[in-house]
Amino acid sequence: MYRINELGLTLEIEDDLLCSLIDIGIKHYPNEFGGFLIGNYSETQTHLIITNTILPNKFKGTPYLFERDTIGIDDKLKQFYAEEPKKYYLGEWHTHPNNLPIPSSTDINAINSIANHPEVSIKNPLMLIIGYDKPKVELGFYVQFKNKLYRYE
Amino acid sequence: MDKSLHLDSVIKTHQITKEEQLLNKHKDKNKEVKEALEQKYESNIYSPFNSGSYAKNTAMNTKFDFDMVCPFKRNAFGSNGTLKQMYEDVFDFLYEKYKDDANVRKQKVSIGIEFFADEDGDIVKIDVVPGRELNQDQYKDDENLNLYVYYKYGNFDQGSERIKTNVQAQIKNIKDRATKEKDSIRKVIRLLKVWKNTKYNNPAKSFFLELITIKAFDNKDVSGNLWGKLETVLQYIRDEVTGESFTLKDPGNGSNDLIDTLTTTERQTLSDDMKNMLERIEDNDENIKTYFPENSKFLEEEESDNKYENKGNGFYSNPPKNERFG
Ligand SMILES: [Zn+2]
Repeated sequence: MYRINELGLTLEIEDDLLCSLIDIGIKHYPNEFGGFLIGNYSETQTHLIITNTILPNKFKGTPYLFERDTIGIDDKLKQFYAEEPKKYYLGEWHTHPNNLPIPSSTDINAINSIANHPEVSIKNPLMLIIGYDKPKVELGFYVQFKNKLYRYE
Repeated sequence: MDKSLHLDSVIKTHQITKEEQLLNKHKDKNKEVKEALEQKYESNIYSPFNSGSYAKNTAMNTKFDFDMVCPFKRNAFGSNGTLKQMYEDVFDFLYEKYKDDANVRKQKVSIGIEFFADEDGDIVKIDVVPGRELNQDQYKDDENLNLYVYYKYGNFDQGSERIKTNVQAQIKNIKDRATKEKDSIRKVIRLLKVWKNTKYNNPAKSFFLELITIKAFDNKDVSGNLWGKLETVLQYIRDEVTGESFTLKDPGNGSNDLIDTLTTTERQTLSDDMKNMLERIEDNDENIKTYFPENSKFLEEEESDNKYENKGNGFYSNPPKNERFG
């Protein structure tokens, strides 16, 4: 379980999902890659669980850039929402080949733009960065909270 | 995981509930004393109030001192009554009322009521400050009070002074150190007390853990971050506590050796506990949470403040069409 002590917020990601994200990232190495994070919130809204990912149909990946498009993901979002319990879009993940999972300025702009987008209902989008800093894989979970980006420990 | 950060949180979360608990006990006693004074002096007294409270941190515990100001009417002790009469009268009353539950002492401008430690070892202290308005009924307008200043002379109260010195010597041992080191010692002691409470019927007394921590600081180079310091103290206990010639003298009473409070078997168990703890934490940082847990009650209270929220129309979102990450 990951926690932001300062905020008292926690998150959890299913192990199988995390392993598959890491594998998918390796397949695109040395280019960046990523996708959408899906899951749900606890009743108290202090804990969230990442259960699934949706991979983009259209994207561009280079060693220093990843750009995705939402084309064709609509149906999948609706399917997850129809499940019981309902699953939502929670945020995004992407890789940092040969680098630590520290957000770049592009990443920070992206999370701000997501949080402020009119069609985004959630106030606190997540960002997972998978850093392949050889020989280790390092994870950085972040959430936007009141205009600040917090990292989970 | 940052072990020192976790340990800081352990201290913080335990500290706050501890202080809250003590503060509540304090408020109860405070109310009781206030009501007793009002009942006794009826129309001769204005409502007593607290002029301030402050928490004093010692290595042992946190003590709250409350000053309770008691404003008396000018003629409360007769139109020719003196400030000394007022002071003595309040002292006699409080002494009679609380002599079986507390040490009641004359202090410079106040009367100290220090209640005996309760089952948690907590001590509540209330300083009652009697004061008298300058002229009859003037207090309502100017809130000015004359206080009586009490000077001790001769051998007055020597008995109670002597007891006090003893307690003071225990605290002084820690007070004499440089502030920075004192702070580290206090933190390590707090952590050991948290650990002590994770074990059912832990035979090591709090005072024992305090003294052995101080001894570790005396004999070892205890440095680094909080985890580094705690680790050194744990190693010291592991290595030394079973030693034949190991002593732990009570600074308040030199003939009292705290090591005698543990049997040989208990000393061995303590050493084994330290060894185990160090090995498990070495295996995996996360294990530190087993031995030094945060106070979950407090953490939950914290958590209820912040929430994952939506903008008012549920959580269903359509992500922005194009986003770029670096
Ligand atoms: Zn990035």
